[in-house]
Amino acid sequence: MNSREKILKKIKSFPIEKTPMPKFDVKAIASEDRIEAFKQSVKVVGGQAVMLKDYGTIDNLVTVLFPDVKRIATNLEGINCATENPDNFSMASMLNGVDVGIVEGHFGVVENGAVWVTQAMKHKALYFISEALIVILDADQLVETMHEAYKREEVYGDYEYGCFISGPSKTADIEQALVIGAHGAKAVTIVLT
Amino acid sequence: MSSHAKAAAQFIKNTERTAWHDQALFFVRQKRDNVAKNIDEWEVLRTKASQIKEHTVSNLEHYLTTFEKNAKANGIQVHWASDADEHNKIVAEIIENHKAKKLVKSKSMLTEECELNHFLEENGTEVVETDLGERIMQFLKLPPSHIVLPAIHVKRQEVAEIFNKEIHTDANNSDPAYLTQAARMHLREKFIEADISMTGVNFAVAEEGAFVVCTNEGNADMGTSFANVHIASMGIEKLVPNYESLGIFTRLLARSATGQPITTYTAHYKKPAKGKEIHIILVDNNRTEILKDKDHSNMLKCIRCGACMNTCPVYRRTGGYSYSYFIPGPLGINLSMLKEPKKHSGNVSACSLCYSCSNVCPAKIDLAEQIYKWRQDLDKYGEADPMKKMVVKGMKKVMGSPGLFYAAIKSGRLINHMPRFMVYNGLNDWGKGREMPVIALKTFNEMWKKGEVRSNESSKNK
Repeated sequence: MNSREKILKKIKSFPIEKTPMPKFDVKAIASEDRIEAFKQSVKVVGGQAVMLKDYGTIDNLVTVLFPDVKRIATNLEGINCATENPDNFSMASMLNGVDVGIVEGHFGVVENGAVWVTQAMKHKALYFISEALIVILDADQLVETMHEAYKREEVYGDYEYGCFISGPSKTADIEQALVIGAHGAKAVTIVLT
Repeated sequence: MSSHAKAAAQFIKNTERTAWHDQALFFVRQKRDNVAKNIDEWEVLRTKASQIKEHTVSNLEHYLTTFEKNAKANGIQVHWASDADEHNKIVAEIIENHKAKKLVKSKSMLTEECELNHFLEENGTEVVETDLGERIMQFLKLPPSHIVLPAIHVKRQEVAEIFNKEIHTDANNSDPAYLTQAARMHLREKFIEADISMTGVNFAVAEEGAFVVCTNEGNADMGTSFANVHIASMGIEKLVPNYESLGIFTRLLARSATGQPITTYTAHYKKPAKGKEIHIILVDNNRTEILKDKDHSNMLKCIRCGACMNTCPVYRRTGGYSYSYFIPGPLGINLSMLKEPKKHSGNVSACSLCYSCSNVCPAKIDLAEQIYKWRQDLDKYGEADPMKKMVVKGMKKVMGSPGLFYAAIKSGRLINHMPRFMVYNGLNDWGKGREMPVIALKTFNEMWKKGEVRSNESSKNK
């Protein structure tokens, strides 16, 4: 008997009272101004959310917010400031040293400042290895809580890798002192369009 | 004296460090309280989380086979391991099949449980822990002392010292930002060179055939972004039925663990990328035995947030190494007793029965109630203190006879007037490290008989 059969047989061998699945009817408070509340949550987790209209274009936004950067990577069309398209790279390691990565998000979550992304590029390393990550997000695509988030069709979509990213990478493993930028992006900017 | 008390005596010798450890963890506990208080439906979430886990565990065969079927359909390779040895062998086999030499790991308490690192290193594989706290502990050649905050007991100067030795940082610079940046550069190379990336699993979603890994550092995501092979290890209790369940658990996990609204990265692995492989190992290693045990099967609801440790007054003041099991605190006390009761029964005395752990647990596990139950059986495991046993026998006799009882109370008052050396000595455990209370001159009974007891109401009226 292999281990699979052994484990399953063992579970079957003793009676356990089956309990029902509870109803998903949790009532959560809704925010008055979703965009403002989302911006506030992003700030709490160490990132920033800005309105594209305040900058005009992504190109201008990058110039203003990240004036001294050299390598700007994206596979999105219409971003003129990009210096490279990572989909042309044969190996993910070639992304080491990227200053700014620009990606798209599907929707944001007001309660925790997270944005749902699904891998839409050859190397998902771009999400993490970029020193600064810019996530472009439609401001109409905000949900209040994780309950609503897990009802969105994008979460059930056909992807290899999907992630809720909430602010920059961080650690407090040395004496509980918060340090931004453990392994992933040191800055996360959500651009609301 | 229990084995925990003996080990703790070492830890508390350094009073300054004990106080610092206590405060650092209580700070995390307070952060948890603050975010929990801001969510009106917090208690509803805890109840639902407990019910979902109970439902899943009571239908475990169904959900395991559903997960297996859907994960396979997604192209994930599913392995089953009855015990730690089998788990380690499966990992070694995958490594061998790929002729791999370098493995990066993100945090996984299950691989600690299986003592995987040691096994792989003996077989010639380079194993690199990539969570900062875990890397510090790996350099120090010590196990983690907390399941979420592995290096919580280590001071920054000690990190500076070991980093200086291992990765040549400035020995005099103990600034956490500087040390973290150094680790970032050092581990960046390791990520890029790795052949295999290993992660734990926070949640495996049966209906989707996908699994979720939560980190703040992004080390699991970095690892899987470079290595072509991803091995994920999970205990069979990590299942949830569907994504809707995660709506509950992702709201509870980080808030309970560190007081954050969610972990920075909540990564969903569904299919291997082109040319890559994902393996998942479903590990029993005693979990089906826990399932059988009605008094303790609730332990399978645990989502490993560590909230019970942060709140535990005994854990905070005695540290992770005072416990004989690799998982400390209220969680570890129970898990160790389920694993090897005779070996670990000393841990059950590391509890003041304050029940704070049961009150903060996001899955509403009755941690303290279970510890109480273990204590009723201590005699069976040979851990019951003979001195206490004798005292309790004596108490039983005295309490059973009013004459003896009042005589004992009268003579008890003599303690107030005894010279210190007679009260504070090796024979009196209660007098160690603390002052004895002054015994009242009159008993309640005596006061009652003389009409000296008045209710609050009547004393207010006077």
